[in-house]
Amino acid sequence: MSIQDALGDRFGVGFRSLLKREVLRFVRRPRNTFLPPAVTNVLYFAVFGLILGDRIDAIQGFDYILFILPGLVVLGAVSNAFENASFSIFHGRWNEYIHETLTSPLAYSSQVFAYVAAAALRGIVVGFIIVAVGLVFVPFAIEGGSVPVRRPLYLVAFMLTITTLFAAFGVVGGLWARDFDYLTVLNQFILRPLTFFGGVFYSLDILSPVYRTVSLLNPMVYMVNGVRYGFLGYTDVNADLSLAVLVGLTLAVLAVDVALFRRGYGIIE
Amino acid sequence: MTAIRADGLVKTYGSVRALDYLSVEVEDGEFFGLLGPNGAGKTTFISILVGLARATDGIAEVFGHDVEDDYQRARDRIGLAPQEFNVDRFFPIHEVLEHKAGYHGIPPAEAERRADEALRTVGIYDKRETRFDWLSGGMKRRFLLARALVTDPDLLILDEPTAGVDVELRRELWELVQRLNDDGTTVLLTTHYIEEAERLCDRVAIMDSGRKVEVATPDELRARGEDTLVVTLANDTIGVPELDAPGVHGVTLDGRTLSVTTDDAGRVAPDVIRALDDAGHAIADLDVRRASLEDVFVGMTRTAEAEVSQ
Ligand SMILES: Nc1ncnc2c1ncn2[C@@H]1O[C@H](COP(=O)(O)OP(=O)(O)OP(=O)(O)O)[C@@H](O)[C@H]1O
Ligand SMILES: [Mg+2]
Repeated sequence: MSIQDALGDRFGVGFRSLLKREVLRFVRRPRNTFLPPAVTNVLYFAVFGLILGDRIDAIQGFDYILFILPGLVVLGAVSNAFENASFSIFHGRWNEYIHETLTSPLAYSSQVFAYVAAAALRGIVVGFIIVAVGLVFVPFAIEGGSVPVRRPLYLVAFMLTITTLFAAFGVVGGLWARDFDYLTVLNQFILRPLTFFGGVFYSLDILSPVYRTVSLLNPMVYMVNGVRYGFLGYTDVNADLSLAVLVGLTLAVLAVDVALFRRGYGIIE
Repeated sequence: MTAIRADGLVKTYGSVRALDYLSVEVEDGEFFGLLGPNGAGKTTFISILVGLARATDGIAEVFGHDVEDDYQRARDRIGLAPQEFNVDRFFPIHEVLEHKAGYHGIPPAEAERRADEALRTVGIYDKRETRFDWLSGGMKRRFLLARALVTDPDLLILDEPTAGVDVELRRELWELVQRLNDDGTTVLLTTHYIEEAERLCDRVAIMDSGRKVEVATPDELRARGEDTLVVTLANDTIGVPELDAPGVHGVTLDGRTLSVTTDDAGRVAPDVIRALDDAGHAIADLDVRRASLEDVFVGMTRTAEAEVSQ
């Protein structure tokens, strides 16, 4: 292979090597990457789905356990995508092994795309795990119940977009963090509140007009509703518009990632 | 073809001027040394070449490729063994090498072959399944060299590769790097050991405070410094023995230890021994202390200052 091929190809051998490394990094420690969301969601489904769900009326005609499932999938998927990208980049800076890629001929965009793709993949896998947990619990709440997928294409499109978006945010977080605390702060004080107020556990229709309007400023609302539309065929907001805005946002954040890498923000002196 | 061309490189960290208009050229195939005291700017210069630091001003090129505008081509040619350990500690070392080869566009099967070869070359193949953290200090140094070699670079940059390494390993590393250079690899070496530079380098640049003080061959360099011939006398003596052999600069006596400063200890040693013998002194021990980098360096800056003040 000539040097031209190697360099001209943004998704060539170099990109695939970094992607593989990043995927192996989470696949090889499932107890840190896949077990925690599985356990957390067993708790969510048990408490909210079974115990409380029994006493909560159907929302928009859906049993409560089914109503919250898409939101839980979003919560798990995006926080894991974010965590993977931010932690991997921060850890690489901390131990300086990010030099191994920085001193290689990999294009800045290839480096970013590899981190983002691997992190998004982890988010997707966690999404599947949560659905699997849901499949175990749903029949206990609903006689002969299962998890529907009414709009598979929307589901796929939303899941790919939001995991990519949060992986791309994670790259920014990983470059910005000066210490491990910074990542915890991002996760606990920004991501989690946004998700909880993003309509995971309730429909926007139950809110007063003021809170409803405020909620519409929360990007998580569109993500949760988009994924809910994929599963249940129901959404509080326009799914096509949401998808278009989220795709646009994702592309913008990816562009920021590449610009930061090019500038060497947080990684070179 | 020039392997490295730096012109007017400036690098500031806040108020610190790590590089102060550094200009230097290294020819293709050359074995080039970079000497200078701590903080001279050696690592900073290297960091700019490989893309770990960005120059504040000036130009740097590797094989004609600008290190910023044409970073991919420049970096593709370089293999770096850094001063500090910056290795992925999650994977066994052979995988770290395979990944590194991969980033340089080498497909998996070939990367695996090269990783094994590099580990054999530096003699840690039996540790291939181990993680970096569990290697001994010397093995870690070897591994850094293996990582630099796995991409088969045209320019090998070694930033103090023998710091904290035992004599035997140092010799092995020297032989290995010399062999690579004989086969055409350009080498840029920084070191504090002047014998290392003398023995290996075609030319040496002396740096201080981010500036290039001098570029010279090791022979020229050696001629600048003073050696010390240390003679331990068998018996007490009163007063400094008379030694007027040519090339002797000074003689001091401390107890039975006689220190003779000279341009070239090897050349004057026979004369000194003969003179002492003639004067009736028996010799218990004889030792040569070669000019250290510091000596040469101090000598050079003194000359530079003198020229300025004239
Ligand atoms: N990241 C940084 N931030 C601030 N100052 C730095 C940084 N890196 C280097 N310096 C400063 O730049 C100067 C040159 O440092 P450099 O590491 O290039 O020296 P060196 O010649 O490699 O020294 P040594 O022989 O100790 O390795 C020093 O004054 C150092 O403190
Ligand atoms: Mg240094």
